[in-house]
Amino acid sequence: MTALRRVALVGGATTKFGVRAATWSELVQEAGTALFRAVPELSAKDVDSLFVGAAEPERFAFQSHVAPLAAELLGIQPRRVLQRTELACASGQSAIRSAYAAIASGLSDIAIAVGVEKMNIPSMAEANTSMACVMDRPWDGAHGATAPPFFAMVAQRHMLEYGTTEEQLAAVSEKNHRFANANPDAQFAEKTFSKEKLLRLPWVSPPLRLGDCSSMTDGAAAVLLVAEEFARRYTDTPAWIRGTGQYSNFHNLAQAGSLTDWVGLKIAAAEAFRSAGIGADSLDFAELHDCFSISEIVEYEALGFCPPGAGGAFVADGQADIGGKVVVNPRGGLLGCGHPLGATGIAQAVEVHCQFTHAVPAARQVPDPNWALVHNLSGSANVHSLMVYQRGGPP
Amino acid sequence: MSTDSPEAVRPRTGPRPGAPPLPASTEPAPTPPTASASAATPPARPAAPKVPTVLDFYPMETAATTRVAAFFDNLRAGRFTTTRCRKDGTLLWPPRVSCPECHGDDLDWVDLPPNGHVYAFSAVLLGAPLGMESEVPFVVGLVDLDGAPLRLFGRIDGGRWETLRIGDAVHVVPVPLDDGRIFYRFVRDLAGSATGATPPA
Repeated sequence: MTALRRVALVGGATTKFGVRAATWSELVQEAGTALFRAVPELSAKDVDSLFVGAAEPERFAFQSHVAPLAAELLGIQPRRVLQRTELACASGQSAIRSAYAAIASGLSDIAIAVGVEKMNIPSMAEANTSMACVMDRPWDGAHGATAPPFFAMVAQRHMLEYGTTEEQLAAVSEKNHRFANANPDAQFAEKTFSKEKLLRLPWVSPPLRLGDCSSMTDGAAAVLLVAEEFARRYTDTPAWIRGTGQYSNFHNLAQAGSLTDWVGLKIAAAEAFRSAGIGADSLDFAELHDCFSISEIVEYEALGFCPPGAGGAFVADGQADIGGKVVVNPRGGLLGCGHPLGATGIAQAVEVHCQFTHAVPAARQVPDPNWALVHNLSGSANVHSLMVYQRGGPP
Repeated sequence: MSTDSPEAVRPRTGPRPGAPPLPASTEPAPTPPTASASAATPPARPAAPKVPTVLDFYPMETAATTRVAAFFDNLRAGRFTTTRCRKDGTLLWPPRVSCPECHGDDLDWVDLPPNGHVYAFSAVLLGAPLGMESEVPFVVGLVDLDGAPLRLFGRIDGGRWETLRIGDAVHVVPVPLDDGRIFYRFVRDLAGSATGATPPA
């Protein structure tokens, strides 16, 4: 590979996540205001490129061609690259990866990646229907395939093959909701969930209960990414993008193979770690895609945090908590923050910046973090996208 | 395979092209305000549009709309089929018009085993899509077809989720949609006679 320019994430901000009395466009405006407040040195005229992570604005907000709309709302006139990225649940990280590629290649110098989703609409049945077209709609969606029953099957097989328990699933949700209680922007910032309470919630798709599933959420988030020569203009603590990896190996569920051994994640992670020059043991924390409690457990195993089948015990023993082997989802995860599809991957990157600059409440601050991983899956875990960040110090 | 199917498993479909047209709006068409009229009386309130949405899950089935219409014609005739690449023998699901292995387009239709066993399953108790709410709770699962290297996702009718087990035997039944199209589902073998569905020969 030819030499690439180094790319730094130098600032970011999110809106409040939740059931918001705000439209798609208003959420973009809120994220823009929050970003420009968080990075006072940023001038809109210096931004040459904009990447807009948005999964289903056509369905949820009846708006297409959203990239120029977002540019107008943010007061940006992109002169290098303007594009929307759609990769369902990973649309946000896809915007960051695209901005990274553009800056690393020299096409862009200063770029914003903004992610947004408006999912709470008058008919939630229509919203659920829109989620079903993430799957192979005429063949799998027509049978009723949405995310909950798919990940419920993952949980069922994991329980059968490894003896994973409902209590271990609840341990993931309890941890992430507890972290969300220290994140005022989280959808469930004010709600507490004990394991006992989680195990009494109604089924969504057995063995997954309401507390095992991330929510339909409105929210937006934005980050500023720049080439190395511009990094110190905006921060003393750049988060360097040191590695990235992505893999997709199927779409129709007939090609899913093993539900508990996520081969695509292993391959994507190997590339992300190889390009960063580190192993999983070097990570101080990881923002993992806990769309469902079982997802986080399978991810521990595929990423090598623990042996295959040991993910349930890993979380129940506190190994994914502060003080454990690697802190997972100190932001509160998708379970605690909610999951606005296009915004999630950006909000995870915002958390990396805030952790590196020690700008989060003490209850979720990772001690002295230097290496972080961000992971998103999309659809039926048929795509995995990862980025590795390293904390930079003063020059 | 019988083409008869119990009424209970007949899914409902949403608005779609070919369905009876929506009733015309009874509200008056908005009249463009003129300078004098707008000063005297408020402009007519615009009619909120009543439009069908593209939220139809089921496949396009006719030869005018798809190149795999034979799948649905075969299903009507009691055959559960898919495409296979003549060049490399790859079994392709769902039915394709090109082979993603060799990138050729010389495919033929082959019969699939209509029987299988449950690999994994769950049920939808909350969050059902439009047109499926009345069927909640419904069971879905992945089924290993007997004697074919295919594990298909599908609805599994014939009983509640609490009584299904991994490894249970199921079979494919054609399911007519109420708009004339046809689809397929799995039904539990043991439940077949109880619900009136006939196990395939």
